Amino acid sequence: MAGANGQVVVADQLSRRYGTGAAAVDALVDVSTGFDRDRFTAIMGPSGSGKSTLMHILAGLDRPTTGTVELDGVEITALDDGELTQLRRDKLGFVFQFFNLLPVLTAEENLVLPLSIAGRKPDREWVEQLIRTVGLEERRSHRPAELSGGQQQRVAVARALVSKPAVVFADEPTGNLDSKASEDVLQLLRRAVDEFGQTVVMVTHDPAAAAHADRLITLRDGRIVHDAAPGSADDVIELMKQLD
Amino acid sequence: MTSLALKSLWARKVRALTTTFAVVLGIAFVAGTYVLTDTILAAFDEIFAESLKGTSVVVTAKNPVEQENSEVPTISAGLLPRIQRTPGVELAAGAIFTPGAFFDSEGDKIGSKFSPKFISSTLPGKLESLTYVDGHRPRGPTEASIDKGAAESSGLQLGEKIGLVSAGRLRQFELVGFTRLGGASFGGASIAQVTLPTAQALTHKRGRFDQISVAAEPGVSPAALKRRIAAQMPASVRVETAGENASRQSEKIDESLGFFQTFLLVFGFIAVFVGSFLIFNTFSITVAQRISEFGMLRTLGASRRQILTSVMVEAVAIGLIGALLGIAGGFVVALGLNALFEALGIDLPTTSLVLEARTVIVALLVGVLVTVVAAFMPALRSTRVPPIAALHAFSPPPSRRRRRVAVVISILLAALGLFLLVSGLTKGGGAGSRAALVGGGALLIVIGGSFYTPKLVPPISNLAGWPLQRLRGLTGRLARENAQRNTSRTAITAAALMIGVALVAFVTVFAAGLKSTVAQVVDENFAGGGLVIQNTDGFSPIPAGVAGAAEQVPGVESVQSIRSSKAKLVGGEDVQVAAPTPEIEMAVSLTWKAGGPTALRNLGDGEAIVSDSFASANGLAVGDSFRLLTARDARPQFKVAGEFESKLGVLGDVLVTQPVMARAFGQRQDTSAFVLVEPGADAATVQAILSKGIEIAFPIAEVLNQGELKEDRETQIGQLVNLFYGLLALAVLISLFGIANTLALSIHERTRELGMLRAIGMSRRQVRTMIRYESVITALIGAVLGLVLGVIFATLIAQPLKGEGFTLSYPVGSLIGLLLLAAIFGVLAAVLPARRAARLDVLESLQYE
Repeated sequence: MAGANGQVVVADQLSRRYGTGAAAVDALVDVSTGFDRDRFTAIMGPSGSGKSTLMHILAGLDRPTTGTVELDGVEITALDDGELTQLRRDKLGFVFQFFNLLPVLTAEENLVLPLSIAGRKPDREWVEQLIRTVGLEERRSHRPAELSGGQQQRVAVARALVSKPAVVFADEPTGNLDSKASEDVLQLLRRAVDEFGQTVVMVTHDPAAAAHADRLITLRDGRIVHDAAPGSADDVIELMKQLD
Repeated sequence: MTSLALKSLWARKVRALTTTFAVVLGIAFVAGTYVLTDTILAAFDEIFAESLKGTSVVVTAKNPVEQENSEVPTISAGLLPRIQRTPGVELAAGAIFTPGAFFDSEGDKIGSKFSPKFISSTLPGKLESLTYVDGHRPRGPTEASIDKGAAESSGLQLGEKIGLVSAGRLRQFELVGFTRLGGASFGGASIAQVTLPTAQALTHKRGRFDQISVAAEPGVSPAALKRRIAAQMPASVRVETAGENASRQSEKIDESLGFFQTFLLVFGFIAVFVGSFLIFNTFSITVAQRISEFGMLRTLGASRRQILTSVMVEAVAIGLIGALLGIAGGFVVALGLNALFEALGIDLPTTSLVLEARTVIVALLVGVLVTVVAAFMPALRSTRVPPIAALHAFSPPPSRRRRRVAVVISILLAALGLFLLVSGLTKGGGAGSRAALVGGGALLIVIGGSFYTPKLVPPISNLAGWPLQRLRGLTGRLARENAQRNTSRTAITAAALMIGVALVAFVTVFAAGLKSTVAQVVDENFAGGGLVIQNTDGFSPIPAGVAGAAEQVPGVESVQSIRSSKAKLVGGEDVQVAAPTPEIEMAVSLTWKAGGPTALRNLGDGEAIVSDSFASANGLAVGDSFRLLTARDARPQFKVAGEFESKLGVLGDVLVTQPVMARAFGQRQDTSAFVLVEPGADAATVQAILSKGIEIAFPIAEVLNQGELKEDRETQIGQLVNLFYGLLALAVLISLFGIANTLALSIHERTRELGMLRAIGMSRRQVRTMIRYESVITALIGAVLGLVLGVIFATLIAQPLKGEGFTLSYPVGSLIGLLLLAAIFGVLAAVLPARRAARLDVLESLQYE
């Protein structure tokens, strides 16, 4: 079960139960799966299907009730807070639905924030490349409030990439964007995988977004019910209808 | 991360500034206290240096017991020729420098009530320190000069008549000159100068000097000259170089200023303490509001320590800025305090304001320390924000364990506080250390108790909110619910006000107790029901001729008097010694424990009557002997001839005869005199005649009947109480800022909810009313708790004083008034937040994230 077989994240028999007794809810039931390097995976499912819970556990933000997660060769479900912090610095990138940029910092400062936090010197060339890639050369010294939603989310994507993590988790990255801006962001994630060799795992409810992925995992009632290449957006819509 | 913390602080600079303000006010007060006292000290140093400019050596009487309101010992004029004959002496002269009072030609007092006024003698040649800016030195027994400051403030002209009085009768002089002391101001003090024999006559110091000033010949060092002179002087005389004399005097000033300084600093630190509640609250709220930001930073790899550091960096920055602003504000406070004391008739000499390094260091240290300590708990909470909080609006549930820890800590704190309080009240030791124990104990109890205030919020806010709800319906109800929404936040806000109100309530109750005690003391002591003659300032001695003059007034049966001086038990503590006339019991009632009226009437010069508390403290019984060290450096021995029950009043612990008081203690003036009216004579008529005569001959004395005496004492207490109120206003003001700040922050938090309320039809006025009531409820919670605490503390502290005759009384009306005042303060604190809430744009607030 090692990451050596080309899988950067391996989940083994994950279950997550919230609450106890009669009020207990099983958000995940015995989920086992792996994520290959350099691939773009989308996770879909109706509300309450457990897709967010799965991502939180994979990213070390939540702990499973039973089961294990191995991330880039490290078993993370048993790590303490300090070790998790180190893991986030070295191996994880996050993109959130609400961008979560710091309003007091400029776009560029937000972009290099993970490095500043870790006390690392940014690789100038890499940072410049990222800024060019996200198309914010002219707006690097703007504050988030002076950027559009799409621009903010592109900064957030670049921020997730800046530390060259083993895997980037994106939680509904287009959930708060119009379709044009969504397209830009998804293109960006796609390029991250194709050009920079990144691994991306994205939770979404948007079929158009899922269509950009290499692989689509669909959850329902805490279980994986479908796992294949997504095909076109229309295929995804069709699939969702079938599962409903 | 540090720069991030500073940037984010800068982004929230308006909020940060209001938080800073919590520190600024307190620190400004602390810094202002230092600036003011340092300035006063510098002014005195300048005065001393200036007044000794041409002097090399100063000869004065040793004064082994510091006197407060009694005569200071003098030296014999017979010493002067010996000094003048000493080789190396160029010039030596005796001088008088004695407290007195000045009156203009219309009989009005020159200078303000409490400012010190001195009658001084002219000195020959270079020994004279006063410069004449106008006119000339007084030459004969009818000429006098006065300092320019006093002349200007009273509009005096040269050639006018002024009256001077000290130990004897008022005498009229022609004003021949205006003086100045170098470049220094006297502050409030004034000096009238007359020739030496005239000064001696005015002060009843014929054949005596207050000091002999000596100028050395060129080439003779002051130290060498001092040794030569000292070798010829008796032991009761002190010989100092001018430098030594100046530094001893400024040390004395420093000591008395030290008390004044500590007194003011206490209020400054109370303000800082109240401010720390505000800081704690602001940090708690901002940390809560920034949860998703902290969560995001955590997902980006920030460690707990880094989050903690970033919050603490903000705290340090706020502390530093607050301290710096506080130091600047200190100058304003120094001027304000000076104005406050001037308004109360206490003039303090000042030069340009002095900023010592110590002031800056203390301000910075206090500012940073207080913010860091107050922000630590909220900062710690920020580290418990999990990374997942970045994804939701998430509030970390406080763990049960921590609650239990808090309970244990609060009980420990309160127990320790109670222990300190009780030991402060019951143990011996200096008043300072006891007060510190009591104060520290009270502080700990307040902190410990503040852990429980959240539990008290719902019941009290229900109580306070009930009438509002009854009156205003929904807005009242919402206000009440909002006040209870976050009980610990409301509790801390209220606790800040609680401290101020507790102290105000304490002072109010204690002052009421003092007033009723004073009234009782007057009733009990002055059994004769006659008239009392005292100095118009209420504490200084009255001129020596007063009692004799009063006896001549028709209708007066007899005049009894008391003289007092402070002495020391040889090798022991200070003792207040009084010398009554043998028939004093006609005017002042005594309860005898041993001996009796005859013991007093037949008291011999080697005998004393002591209070029971003095007797038991020193293991004395009738027939035993003890020795006192007096102001004149004498060590007379006394045999105990009787014992009386001690109580608050005019008599001290040891009674001796008046001749002994004059000879051994150097006290020849009466502290107060009691006039007994002949049976059948009309007391009011006698008082009118007496007053008229005294006004003409001895205008620094006044005649009071019992009612007036009570009133006079009560006025004095009232002034003191007003001073306390003025100083406590600062702490209350800060806590009002706290209420306003907390309201503003929680309105910010509830933007969406307020938008919703407006959207469903709440008017701007209703929004304002709701916020205002929330503030009033918070203020009332603080006021009720403060009132209870203040009354309890006053009751506790009064316990050990009961033995000394202190009676407690509860001014119910004033306390209720205090509650109403707190409610009004609540309305005031809500003005700005309520306006802000009412102005929110409905649509924008609904979309607010």
